Amino acid sequence: MTAEESQESSTPNYYLVWFYLLVLTVAEVGVAFISGLPETWLILILLALAVWKAALVAMYYMHLKFEPPRLVLTVIAPLPLAILITIVVLMEGF
Amino acid sequence: MTTTATTAERVPNVSVQHWAEPGHEDDRSFWRKYVFSTDHKVIGSQFLFLSLFFLFVGGALAMMMRWQLGFPGEPMPGGGVFGQAKAVQGILLPEFYNSLVTMHGTFMIFFAIMPLLVGVFGNWLIPLHVGAADMAFPRLNMASFWTAVPAGVLMLASFWVTGGAAGAGWTAYPPLSAVPEFSGVSMGQKLWCVSIAVLGFSSLMGAVNYITTIVNMRAPGLGWMRLSLPVWALFITAILILLAIPVLTGAAILLLFDQTIGTAFFLPEAGGQPLLWQHLFWYFGHPEVYILILPAMGIASEVIANGSRKPIFGYRFMVAAIVTIAFLGWIVWGHHMFQSGMNPLLGTSFMFSTMVIAVPSAIKTFNWLGTMWRGDLHFHVPMLNAVAFVAMFIIGGLSGIFMASTPIDIYIHDTYFIVAHLHYVLFGGSLFAIFAGIYFWFPKFFGKMLNPTLGKIHFWTSFVFFNLVFFPMHNIGLKGHMRRIYDPTQYEWLAEIQPMNTFMSVSAFLLGTAQLLFLANIVWSLWKGEDAPPNPWKANTLEWSIPSPAPHGNFEEMPTVYRGPYEYSAPEREEDHWPMGEPGPGEERPPPEEQRRKEAAG
Amino acid sequence: MSATRADSIGATDRPMEGLGVYNLKLGMWVFLLSEVMFFASLIGAYIVLRFANPEQWAEPGAVLNVPLTAFNTFMLICSSVTMVKAFAAIEHGDQRGLRRWLLATVVLGAAFVSIQVFEYIELAHHGFVPMVSQYAAEGGPLYGATFYTLTGFHGAHVTIGVLALIFTAVKAFRGGYSEYDYGGVEIVGLYWHFVDLVWIILFTIVYLI
Repeated sequence: MTAEESQESSTPNYYLVWFYLLVLTVAEVGVAFISGLPETWLILILLALAVWKAALVAMYYMHLKFEPPRLVLTVIAPLPLAILITIVVLMEGF
Repeated sequence: MTTTATTAERVPNVSVQHWAEPGHEDDRSFWRKYVFSTDHKVIGSQFLFLSLFFLFVGGALAMMMRWQLGFPGEPMPGGGVFGQAKAVQGILLPEFYNSLVTMHGTFMIFFAIMPLLVGVFGNWLIPLHVGAADMAFPRLNMASFWTAVPAGVLMLASFWVTGGAAGAGWTAYPPLSAVPEFSGVSMGQKLWCVSIAVLGFSSLMGAVNYITTIVNMRAPGLGWMRLSLPVWALFITAILILLAIPVLTGAAILLLFDQTIGTAFFLPEAGGQPLLWQHLFWYFGHPEVYILILPAMGIASEVIANGSRKPIFGYRFMVAAIVTIAFLGWIVWGHHMFQSGMNPLLGTSFMFSTMVIAVPSAIKTFNWLGTMWRGDLHFHVPMLNAVAFVAMFIIGGLSGIFMASTPIDIYIHDTYFIVAHLHYVLFGGSLFAIFAGIYFWFPKFFGKMLNPTLGKIHFWTSFVFFNLVFFPMHNIGLKGHMRRIYDPTQYEWLAEIQPMNTFMSVSAFLLGTAQLLFLANIVWSLWKGEDAPPNPWKANTLEWSIPSPAPHGNFEEMPTVYRGPYEYSAPEREEDHWPMGEPGPGEERPPPEEQRRKEAAG
Repeated sequence: MSATRADSIGATDRPMEGLGVYNLKLGMWVFLLSEVMFFASLIGAYIVLRFANPEQWAEPGAVLNVPLTAFNTFMLICSSVTMVKAFAAIEHGDQRGLRRWLLATVVLGAAFVSIQVFEYIELAHHGFVPMVSQYAAEGGPLYGATFYTLTGFHGAHVTIGVLALIFTAVKAFRGGYSEYDYGGVEIVGLYWHFVDLVWIILFTIVYLI
C-alpha cells in the first residue's frame, strides 16, 4: 500500500456515505409503501437494502474497510452462527 | 491526514505494559490489594473462594436430595431447620425437592464449575502463560468478579423469598417456569432469571478480557503453536462464552417478561412457543457443555505431560481437536431436544453432527494415553486427579454416544442414565481436572504447597465413592428410574430397586464428607503448609520461572519465549525439563526492554 | 500497517503482533460480536413468532407510526456522521472539532431516545402494549411484545451510548484526548455506529416488513 493510497482510503467521504444511507432509507420506505410488489419480493428487496446499509456503516463508519484483514475475518467469522440460529429456529416455526 | 500505520503507532500499543520496577515496594492499601484488586492473580483467587463456596452449597443440596431418594418419607437429620413450609418435621416436601434439584444444577453449573474453570484458571493462568504483566483490561476484570458476586447472592437469597427458590429445573423450561401456578414458585423463578442475566454480564467481561489478552499480549517468541494447552482451551472457551452467553441472557430476559409483565413469548395460549425457549436455551446450553469441559481438558493436558515427563503427544492435534470440538459444539444443540417433538429432519442432522464430536474427543483421549505411554510417570496428587479425569471422561463420553442416537435416546431420555452421564462428565471430568489444577497451581498463587498426604486420601476417597454413587445410576436409569423424581418408591418397578438408591445415598454422603478433606487441606496448608519453591513440579511454562507466590506485576521484565511448553526429557539436556524462557545453546537473549526502547528512539 | 513492526530491531524482543489493532479496539470489537449474538437471539425469536402467528401482525404502518420513525432513523444516521467527524477531528488533533461534533452526536442521540419515548406513549394510548391481558390495538399481543422488546433493547443501547458519549464529551472538554491518544473516542464511535447498524436492521424488519 503506497502512502498516497492509504491517505486516500483512510479518510473516506463521510458525507457521501451519509447521502447513500439517506437515499437507501427513502428507497426502503418507498418500496414498502408505494411499490405494490408481491410480498416475497418486497421482503427480499427490503432485507437486501437493510444489509446494504448495514454494510456501509460497518465498512466506512466503523472503518472495517481499513482494518487489518485479520480483524475483518475475526468480525465476519461468527456471523454464520447468528444466521444459523435464526434459520433453525425458523424451521420449527413451520 | 493519517495513515493506518501511524494510527497504530500513536494509539497505545500492545507492547506498552507497565513492568514492575525490580525490588519495588507494593504500596497498595489492603482494599486495593485483596478486595477491589485489579491484579489478575488476586481476582483468580477471589473466584476460587467464591466458587468453592458455591461448590459446597451445591454439594449440600445434593446431599439433601440423596437423603430423600435414599430414605423417602423419613425425616432428614437437621431437616427441622427449614421450617414447615419446606420440610414438615424434617421430611422434605416435594416442592422443596424441586427447588433442590433446580438450585443444585444451577449452582454447580453456573456458580461452581464454570467460574472454577473459567474464572479461576482463566485469571490465574492467562497473563502468566502469555508472559504479560496483567490482563488487557484489569479494571474490567475486577468488575467481572464484582458482578458475579451479586448474581450469586441473588440466586442464594431466592431460598428465603416467599415460595422458595426456582423449581423448574436448571433448564427452566416454560410454561412450567413462566407460570407461577404450575411450579408453585413465583419470586424465586424471577430471581433465577435476573441472576442468570447478571452472571451473563460477568462472564462476558471475562471473555472479552481473555480474548484480547491472548490475542494481543503474547510475549516475544510466543507464537500460537507455542501456547500452552490450558491457554488454548481457555481461548476457545472464551469465544464460546462470548457468543453463547448473550443468547441465554436474551432468552432469560424474554422469560422474565413472561413472568413479570405478562407477555407470552413462550406461552402457547397466546401464540407463543415453548420450543423457542428450548432452542434458545440449548443454543447456549450446548456450547456451555464445552465451556465446562474444554478448560478441564487443557488443565489435564498440562498436568499429564508434567507427570509423564514427556512432551504432550500430538500437540497440533490437541489444538485442532479443541477447535473442532468447539466448532461442532455449535451445531449439535438439538440433541438435547430429541423428545421435544421437533422437526425429525432436524433431529437426524443433529444426531449425525453429535456423533462426529466423538472423533476429536477420541483424538484427545488417545493423545493423553500416548503422552503417558512409556513416560517416566510421577503420580503426584495433580497427576492422580488428571488421570482420573481421563478415565472418567471416557466413561462419560461413551455413555454420551448412547444418548446421541435418537432411537436409544427415546428409551433413556430423562432417566437416571443421563444423570449418570452428565455427572461422569462434569464431576468425574471437569471437577477432577479442577482438583488437579488447584493442587498443581495452588503453590504459585499462595506460596504454600497443599499437603500431599491429605491430597492423596482426598483423591482416593473421592474417586472410589464417586464411582459408587454414579455408576449404579446407569443401571437404575436403564431400569426406568426418572430423573428429578421426588419419591421413587411410589412406583412398583422402582420400589424393588430402592436398596440401590439407599446404597448410592450412603456413598454420596461419604463422597460429600471426603470433600471436607479438600477444604481442610486448603485451610491447613494456607496456615501451616510447607513453603513452595518457585518450580515445585519442574514444569516449563513461564509462571514457574518467577518466585512463589507470584509477585504483583508478574515478571520483572517482558520474558522471551524460546520453545513450546512441553519440552520434557529433551535428550540434549541433563535436566528433564526445559523452561520456555530459558535460551538453549546458541539462542542469544535479545537486549532487555530498556535497551530496546533506547534503540527504537535512536 | 506493518510499519509498526519494527522488524529491523529483531522480532523476538517485541510482543507477538496479535491482530494488529490496539487492545481497546480489539476488546470493543469482541464485545460487539457478543452484542450481535444478543440481538440475533431477539430477532430470531421475533421472526419465529411472526411466522407462526402471521394473523397477530397488522399491516405495516397501520399501527406503527412509520413517518415519525423514518425521521428518527434519519436522525440516527446523522448522528453517525457527526460521530465519525468527531473521530476524524481528533485524529488530526482538532480539539474544537472533536468537542463540537461530540456535542452534536449527544444531542442527536438524546433526540432519538426522546422521540422513541414519545412514540411509546402514543402507542400505549392506542392499546398497543406488550401485555396479553391488556392488548387492544390491531394485531395480537405478540406484535406488541416483540415490538417493545426489540426496540426497547435497542433504545436501552442508545441510552447507554448517549451516557458514554456525555462521558467522552466531558473528557474531551477537559482536553483528555489528542492525536496521540484517541482510543476512547474511537471505541465509543464503534459502539455508536453498531447501535446505528442494529437500528437499520430493526427499522426494516419491525416497521417496514
